[in-house]
Amino acid sequence: MARRELNRRDGHRAVSSGRIEAAHGDVLPGQVSAGNWIFRLGSAFFVAVAALQICSASGVVPIGFGNWQPTMFAFLLWGVALGVSQVLKYGDGGKQTLFVLPALLFTAAMVIFPTIFGLYIAFTDWNLNAQSGHHINGLDNLRTLWGDSYFWNALANMVFYVLTVLVQYVIAFGLALLLNADIRGRKFFRVAFLLPFMLSPVAVSWMIGKSLMENRFGPLANFARWLGWENPAFFTDPWIARTTIIAMDAWVWIPFMVILLLAGLQALPQDVKEAAKVDGASTWQTFWEITFPLMLPVSVTAIVLRTIFELKLADIVINVTAGGPGGATDTISSFVYREYRDRSNVGYATMIAEVYLVLVIIFIMLLLKVANRYMQKMT
Amino acid sequence: MTSEVAAHAVVEEPEETRAAPRQAGRVAGRIAIYALLLVWTFIALFPIYWTLSTSLKLGRDVTQGHLIPWVDFAPAWKGWQSLGLSPDTIFETSNVRDEFLKKFINSVICSVGASAFAIVIGSLAAYGLSRFDYKFGPWRNRDISFFFVSQLILPPVVLALPFLVLYKELALLDTRIGLILVYTLMVLPIVIWVMRDQFDTIPPEMEQAALVDGCSIWGAFVRIVLPMALPGMVAAFILSLVLCWNEYFFASLLTGFDAQTLPVMVASQTGSSGINWWTIAALATAAIAPLLLIGIFLERYIVMGLTVGAGK
Amino acid sequence: MRVHIYERLMAMQSSRRDVLKGAAGAAATLAASSSILSSTPSFAEDSVVAQIMKIPGAGNGSPTDSDWQKVGALCLGPTKQYVQPGEFKGVDFSFMGLNNQNLHNFLFRGFLKPWEAYTGASIKWIDLAQADYNARLQQSIATGTTDFDIIEMGAPFEGDMGVKDLLSEMPDWVMKQVDFDDYVNYLKPPVGTWNGKIHRTCIDSDCHTMNRRTDVFGDADLAKQWADWNDKAGLATWGAPKTWLQVQQVTKFLKGKKVKGKEVYGFLDQPKPWGGFQFYFTASRATAYAKYPGEKNWMFDENMKPLVNNPAWVRAIQDVVDLLPYEPADQINADPGTTAFQQFLPGTGALLEWWGDIGTSAKTSDTATIGDVLDFDILPASDDVYNFRKAQWEKLPTGPNVAPNMAYLGWGIYVMKTVDSDAKRHKAAWSAAAHLGGKDLSMWTSAYPSGFQPYRKSHTNLDLWALAGYDKKYIGSYMDSQSTSYNHPNSAIEPRIPGIFQYYSIAEDELQKTFAGKQTAQQGADNVAAAWDKLTDKLGRENQVKYYRVAMGLA
Repeated sequence: MARRELNRRDGHRAVSSGRIEAAHGDVLPGQVSAGNWIFRLGSAFFVAVAALQICSASGVVPIGFGNWQPTMFAFLLWGVALGVSQVLKYGDGGKQTLFVLPALLFTAAMVIFPTIFGLYIAFTDWNLNAQSGHHINGLDNLRTLWGDSYFWNALANMVFYVLTVLVQYVIAFGLALLLNADIRGRKFFRVAFLLPFMLSPVAVSWMIGKSLMENRFGPLANFARWLGWENPAFFTDPWIARTTIIAMDAWVWIPFMVILLLAGLQALPQDVKEAAKVDGASTWQTFWEITFPLMLPVSVTAIVLRTIFELKLADIVINVTAGGPGGATDTISSFVYREYRDRSNVGYATMIAEVYLVLVIIFIMLLLKVANRYMQKMT
Repeated sequence: MTSEVAAHAVVEEPEETRAAPRQAGRVAGRIAIYALLLVWTFIALFPIYWTLSTSLKLGRDVTQGHLIPWVDFAPAWKGWQSLGLSPDTIFETSNVRDEFLKKFINSVICSVGASAFAIVIGSLAAYGLSRFDYKFGPWRNRDISFFFVSQLILPPVVLALPFLVLYKELALLDTRIGLILVYTLMVLPIVIWVMRDQFDTIPPEMEQAALVDGCSIWGAFVRIVLPMALPGMVAAFILSLVLCWNEYFFASLLTGFDAQTLPVMVASQTGSSGINWWTIAALATAAIAPLLLIGIFLERYIVMGLTVGAGK
Repeated sequence: MRVHIYERLMAMQSSRRDVLKGAAGAAATLAASSSILSSTPSFAEDSVVAQIMKIPGAGNGSPTDSDWQKVGALCLGPTKQYVQPGEFKGVDFSFMGLNNQNLHNFLFRGFLKPWEAYTGASIKWIDLAQADYNARLQQSIATGTTDFDIIEMGAPFEGDMGVKDLLSEMPDWVMKQVDFDDYVNYLKPPVGTWNGKIHRTCIDSDCHTMNRRTDVFGDADLAKQWADWNDKAGLATWGAPKTWLQVQQVTKFLKGKKVKGKEVYGFLDQPKPWGGFQFYFTASRATAYAKYPGEKNWMFDENMKPLVNNPAWVRAIQDVVDLLPYEPADQINADPGTTAFQQFLPGTGALLEWWGDIGTSAKTSDTATIGDVLDFDILPASDDVYNFRKAQWEKLPTGPNVAPNMAYLGWGIYVMKTVDSDAKRHKAAWSAAAHLGGKDLSMWTSAYPSGFQPYRKSHTNLDLWALAGYDKKYIGSYMDSQSTSYNHPNSAIEPRIPGIFQYYSIAEDELQKTFAGKQTAQQGADNVAAAWDKLTDKLGRENQVKYYRVAMGLA
């Protein structure tokens, strides 16, 4: 296991690394060997159980296990052994590892099989109804993807949807500022603003998309008529349809960003702002030069998380427009959903998703780089 | 706006002479604030009100777009009846209500369980990522964070078959614990990212002082840092709870009988024999009610951060 | 009986004045087709079926859980003939079905509770939403997680199940218990069979019919204006359109018109995808053009070459494209559920092709705009029909071509092979299936809200309907439209091949683009045909062709 260092990551934390180690002294040699032994025992046990199950599953050994749960429990035991051994061998360094170990082990364990299996599926031609089963078909899925007009259409739509995240961010920030102000009934407003996020996507699709916006009697349609739009049709024109869809999604998710930004605003140190006020700074200056830069880390988190969820938009599209009209509102996720569920084209759909995953990862990485650079410029 | 208010006590006295135009500006500002708040409140609440009122409507009222009960239409209990929750059915045995309550309890267990579990291991991981420099092979903190967040990106539909097979082999199908594990996986990245930001804004001097005094890393974390990070934790918990509560895809995929949750019930209200608007609306209202209560109850903990952060 | 039909018919009868209004329409329909009023066999007053038809009886509101249990208990007679009390003690199996609108599985629970009490078996229930049904089925089959022993399933999926050999064969005693011969003709083999074995216990049947607003088509004002309309397509006097060409013209005529001050529209199309089901509606538009009498093939030919881009289908698709501008705004975003329950029932539109589920809620129908003004008819005809063998349009000597579309073929109960290894479980599962598919029970489910349609010849006994509170004239008209479709010699049956819903899903996705104007009808149809060919190859062409021929009763 690699060693951990106690360096601080950026200039904000000015404490030298030596202080913590000195306070607790070094690790005893007896502890180190005990740690090693515990780890070895745990690993051996896990490998043994897993091997036994593999042998049993492939028929080599006649023991019949009902399921793979023994391996699962052996893995849990191994995780505990790992943690204990880390603490014993590295003392405080080990305790630090212990913080991140449960989450890491949990995530790795849950996703390792699905990821590998998923990647395998992506390179097959698996259709659940195909009578000859599935075969590896190399890069065929990729070639099909390259020529699939539905895919490129959906990708273009995603560009539009993601660009609107900035607009949603601005609105959410404004709302967070409003909520942070000294107002009466703050509790009421906060809870009220939170409610849209709590409505399930199915309810949103039906109650808003189909009921509120219903072309003949829905309140929104009537409102549109009152505003002067004679024949309100929210889902016929491609651009109007896209705007309507993203409006519904934004309605649900803006509270998400509001919460994050509000928590961030609440945690801001007050003395800095008071000092600025005494110095005579205007409201806008205080905001732009003090509040906003301090809020940048939280803003980045909010935007990145929101973007990721936006890129997964599917529920509302599936239930309200089925990707229509003529594919105008289709998202990659809803397209994958159709391919996977309605057409059982499991292999191809998984490939689309994996390609999308790569694209999104690249995009998010770029986004973070740009954001980091911007943050460094501002601070 | 915030700064105005915060500086209220400090600044107002010496500037009484310039109070009049200042007052007018402030009044205008306050009116603007309230106006904007009310506009957005209306936007946020109207669809929810619509859902609630639809649960009291009969078929015809729904399709006629009537707005206000007792004014536009006569409220009826049909929606709540179909759940066994209307005044006339609430004290009788009702198959539907039993189903509803069973799914409700399952939803509660899975959402709260997953969110709590995610908060525990997520906060720990976030603290570690915020305070310490990890180096697992070539992986550093940023890579670890990214690993967590990348779990969010893949559309869940693509994991359907792998998870089905995995859970079948592990005998976790149709179990609540199985669903809790999946949900935890789903919300863990959010918890980690939110908490990491929260910990980043708490200066390490606090724990340093405690450590010098002889506290262990663990003690410093629990007694000093955690209380200060409470607003973030509450925010993350609420978000996780809501996401788990409304999650439909894995719930419908991995459960059949024992562990079914509410969203699955909502989905079955539409089919080829019609749309039960009143039941969808009643279910949606019943589904949002507990979340609302939790929101009301936990809201004050978000506020707590104000006093904690300021008092140094 | 579908819920909304039931409630609509109940409502219709509660208003005396409207009885007379509708009687004219009903009488006309009856006169035009062979009357079934006269052919009702008698039944014994104290027979089981007479008793159950009175539960809960006319005017006593919708049936409740306890009613279902009572009915189930009374219908145990046939079961008792083959099963001893407590014979299945200790046996348990699981039942997977729908829970739409709190019917289907909920009904089954009620019906089977007395059966469980009598036989000692116990059932575990798995409820599914309709939207999840296909996906869940396919994934279960593919990953081998078939955790159910009995399933409520639609006939189109017999191919998927049959190919993997997952179904148990119906024993002879079950055939006797359910009176197999009583099924309407189109539900008899090959439907319900795979590889020559019978697997399906019928509980339902399905077909598309035309629903029509009698107030619109009986309006004197419109009749006057129609007289001046330039292209009547053969509909000399204003009234029910009989051919698709007339439907087109009527819809163009009605745009902008009003009846009693309210805006009216004509025919409503369903362009938006609906999990594969939307394609049934396009198909219903096409059967009159594409289904040649005596020719079983209409979607594919016997070598599974897609016919969907031949002139008949293209004409149907073009019909939709031509008609959309005359339909309500945002119609492009209307799926079948929308057109039925958000448009037609609340009063938009005068013509709608759908399953028999149309109606309005009984409690509000006293002031409903369309509750009392609804009538049914078989799907419209076409003056000429396309003969794809000769690649030409023909006018039949027998007149316009009618081809009702038996869309979805109805729900059935299927037993899985998982019970075959244990004789007791096998018998228990089949006994439960036979109970649900019983003759008397089916009379009840036909008449009361259940989600199921009549499917037996004996369901035409109008006296039994009357026991449930129906007026004979109305139910006569309704049953007429259904039975003329069921027994029609030129009815269109879909191919029950593996993966059939994938074909539908691809088609509706591609057609959506055509309807939105992004490509011509011919282009869209060609794309669908190409995609279907590719799919057939992917699934295994040789086998697909073989299964197709077996499913359609060819070769």
